[in-house]
Amino acid sequence: MALKQVSSNKCFEGFQKVFEHDSTELKCKMKFGIYLPPKAETAKCPVLYWLSGLTCTEQNFITKAGFQQAAAGHGLIVVAPDTSPRGCNIEGEDESWDFGTGAGFYVDATEEPWKTNYRMYSYIKDELPKLINANFPTDPERMSVFGHSMGGHGALILALKNPGKYKSVSAFAPICNPIQCQWGKKALGGYLGPDASKWEAYDATQLVKSYSGSRLDILIDQGKDDQFLSAGQLLPDNFIAACTEQKVPVVFRLQQASCFCSPWLGYDHSYFFIASFINDHIKHHAKYLNA
Amino acid sequence: FYHMDLYGSKERFDIFPEELSGRGDRSLGDTRRESALSSEKVQRPQEVGYDLEKEVAELAKMYGLDEDREKELELLEGHLEKVESRWPSARTEKAGSQGFIYNTSKSSSLLKDPSQSTKQQGLPEEASQGENQSKARADDEAESNIWSREGLSSSGMSDEWNSQAVLEEEEEEEEEEAADVFCSTCKIPIRAFDKLFGEHKDHEVAQLPSAVESEKEAIHKNMCKLEEQIAQMENVASHLEEIFITVEENFGRQEQNFEVHYNDAVQVLAQKYEEQLEALGEEKRQKLETLYEQLVNCGKHLDTCKELTDETQELFLENDKAEFMKTLIFSPHNYRLEEFLKKEVNLELSTQPDFEERVIDVSEVEQLMNSINATPAPCAPVINPQAPNAATGTSLRVCWGLFSDDTVECYQLCYKPVSNERHSDEQAEHTLKVKETYCTITGLLPNTQYEFWVSALNASGISPPSERAVYVTAPSPPTIKNKRIQSCENAALVCWESRDINPVDSYTVELSKLTDEENDIITESIVGIPNCEVLIHLQPTQKYHICVRAQNLGGSSERSEPVLIHTTGTCFYLNDDTAHPLLAILDDGFTISCDELENPECDLPVYDNSFTRCIAILGSLIPFPGKHYWEVEVEEDTEYRTGVAFENTPRHGHLGANNSSWCMRHIITPSRHKYEFLHSGMTPDIRITVPPRRIGILLDYENCRLSFFNADIAQHLHTFNTRFQHYVHPCFALETPGILRIHTGITTPPWTAL
Repeated sequence: MALKQVSSNKCFEGFQKVFEHDSTELKCKMKFGIYLPPKAETAKCPVLYWLSGLTCTEQNFITKAGFQQAAAGHGLIVVAPDTSPRGCNIEGEDESWDFGTGAGFYVDATEEPWKTNYRMYSYIKDELPKLINANFPTDPERMSVFGHSMGGHGALILALKNPGKYKSVSAFAPICNPIQCQWGKKALGGYLGPDASKWEAYDATQLVKSYSGSRLDILIDQGKDDQFLSAGQLLPDNFIAACTEQKVPVVFRLQQASCFCSPWLGYDHSYFFIASFINDHIKHHAKYLNA
Repeated sequence: FYHMDLYGSKERFDIFPEELSGRGDRSLGDTRRESALSSEKVQRPQEVGYDLEKEVAELAKMYGLDEDREKELELLEGHLEKVESRWPSARTEKAGSQGFIYNTSKSSSLLKDPSQSTKQQGLPEEASQGENQSKARADDEAESNIWSREGLSSSGMSDEWNSQAVLEEEEEEEEEEAADVFCSTCKIPIRAFDKLFGEHKDHEVAQLPSAVESEKEAIHKNMCKLEEQIAQMENVASHLEEIFITVEENFGRQEQNFEVHYNDAVQVLAQKYEEQLEALGEEKRQKLETLYEQLVNCGKHLDTCKELTDETQELFLENDKAEFMKTLIFSPHNYRLEEFLKKEVNLELSTQPDFEERVIDVSEVEQLMNSINATPAPCAPVINPQAPNAATGTSLRVCWGLFSDDTVECYQLCYKPVSNERHSDEQAEHTLKVKETYCTITGLLPNTQYEFWVSALNASGISPPSERAVYVTAPSPPTIKNKRIQSCENAALVCWESRDINPVDSYTVELSKLTDEENDIITESIVGIPNCEVLIHLQPTQKYHICVRAQNLGGSSERSEPVLIHTTGTCFYLNDDTAHPLLAILDDGFTISCDELENPECDLPVYDNSFTRCIAILGSLIPFPGKHYWEVEVEEDTEYRTGVAFENTPRHGHLGANNSSWCMRHIITPSRHKYEFLHSGMTPDIRITVPPRRIGILLDYENCRLSFFNADIAQHLHTFNTRFQHYVHPCFALETPGILRIHTGITTPPWTAL
């Protein structure tokens, strides 16, 4: 579990670093970004895991979201892993942008040829936290997860499948009901096989229907003019309906410009949207992680 | 004046600084004084010579030692000449200041044994004089150095002191080895040599320093005694001064008394004398008049007699007999004469020369005199103005005094309430008799003015009444408006009402912090509050008892009933003035309900300040910056608005529809619960999966935020980030029939912090 530092940059009195390591779960070299707040020099800090969306690497979030200031302020370590195994030489892994490389979908694949490497669910759930806790001044008892799009899906299923493991969860424009959308059907079908009933184990909307764990406070932000929302890829309404049914507390905010100057244009799916509300999410997690 | 003399004078300093400077510089300094005394003849500088000479001469004369005098003078002069040559300049400097101290020291020694000591010591020491002088000459230069040193070191002292100290030093240096023991018999310091071989051989001696110590101790004791006596005498003197004044006053009073009474007596006597004299004069006048009248009558009678006699004689002269008879019979004269003779002549005195017996009546004066010695009716007493804190709500303590020495058996105190109304005469006057010069009247009305006057009574009568004095009773305790208390963690706004009709001067608020230890109650007061409300700064999470007193000239009222304030969280009350007519506040004061939305049948009264459109009510929140948190309990199917609004938010509009209110709105659409967070009619699009049953509202002026929470699950719902330009008040509105329960006094939960 040797870590190799790829880069390190001072940022808001702390450090934004990138490390590379050999993943046992994924059987390849994996990179992750980690932000160490100034507080980490003297104390153990909670860890907040960020799961990125389709096509992303560890770089997108750490370079575009502008989360470091808030993380420094609240004393949170933020870990941003890659979105899939890379360089595994699996046939067809680079064929499309929404499957294979950059689209691990945070599941443990059961189908050939993916099942050896594409174990992102276990990687995020077990291997990565172990690695982080072993190498950084963390408080293993306090961790949370959040993500964007496919990463939002990942965050939701990780929280819902592991009650109590994460203190809080939030998401930007998550894929809420993958078994109902094109992206989900393609990915889940590819990784898990054609039996749609197996997919439900990785579907947030399905998971929440049977959720009975410790209380979760879910914050979801959704851009109103997100093209994937209108394309039916995200389906937050299904998730909200299920949560309402199950009385799982969610605050879902459909974000649009709230003043007259913008002609009713809402936020889209980009990191600009994420950057606009990242502080609210950091605060949301800090409330539980620092409680 | 004692202080001046004893502590400010130079004589006192003579003793101490001299010793101090000596002690500081030289170990033998203590002996200086003694050596100066013992060797005065040999050592005395020339400037002293004159005094010495004169004094010796006087003393010698006194003791009849004239024959010795010449010898001594020779001796002295010889010495003086020698010394003079040594001290050419020093002399003029020091002459003035030195005289007195040597005079005193010398005279003390001389008085003991003047001729002996001079003679006996003079002779043996003369032999060693030459030796001393040569030594002194050798020391000359060194001494001049010491002078300047002394002058510098004792710069705090006066010039006199410098020079004197220097002088003493010179003497002592010359004589240093001379005296080292003290002869108790002769009371002089001597040299040990003298003890062994000299005249002091058989005398009792002590080591000089110890002798000095004991003497000083004795002096010190005496000084203390003297100081005590001074203090005592000062007291006596000031007391005597007071006695002087009292004597003067008593004299004046007696003198006035005499003057008044003797003048009265003299006046009465003078009046009596006048009256008597007048009566006497009148009697005299009447007597004289009567006598005069009698005399006049006598004269008239006489005239008539004469006239009749003449006429009769004429008749006699008639020679004709017939004629005579005729005339005699028919003449009127004849008739007149007969008539006249018939009249009796009253020859008695009409009045007596003696005057009536007049008694000199001094009974009145006697009475007056008796009344002086007995008790006169007293003078009018003087009633005091009201003393502070001499009043309670129902009682007044009235005091008066008598400025004369009149004997008074009791006083008659009258009072009645002061009334501005015309028919104030109807107000009953109360009268009571009091032995003392004060009285506490009870059973009065609070915060009311009463007029008092007092007369003194004794056996001789009643004095005129005093001036009238107006006293005022203390106010009634105010009543704190229990349901109008607004508080938060750091302050409380308390208001109260006066129970009196008349205005009071001010109010005092007393607050006691209740601690766990029962006896440790910290109380502080806020005084001079002009209005019926006050904002009090408090500490968080404490319990306070607060009560109010009203204050007027008469004093302060009793405490009001205390109110208990917990500074655990923000407490406000619902301002029913603002309530929409359809909105009802239940008995607990914090539950609002609306039974029906429309009631066209009856015209419900609408107050000026009440909401007319939105079925809403405002709370009254303490105007205090910081954080305020409260909760609203709602039913799941109740449609409501709740949040904050400026006090002047439009009453005809909906909460949240304008820029003077911020609120969360819950409505039920066919598909779902819809939550809006409204300000200026705009809301973000937010969906909440779990309908809150208990809404937590955090108003944080300092961080410019208003946040809404699902308090049951600590879920943050929405935050308005806004800098409130004024203080806001909680607002609540119902849009469907239902109830809202408001909870105040809640500690701000930690999860509200973001």
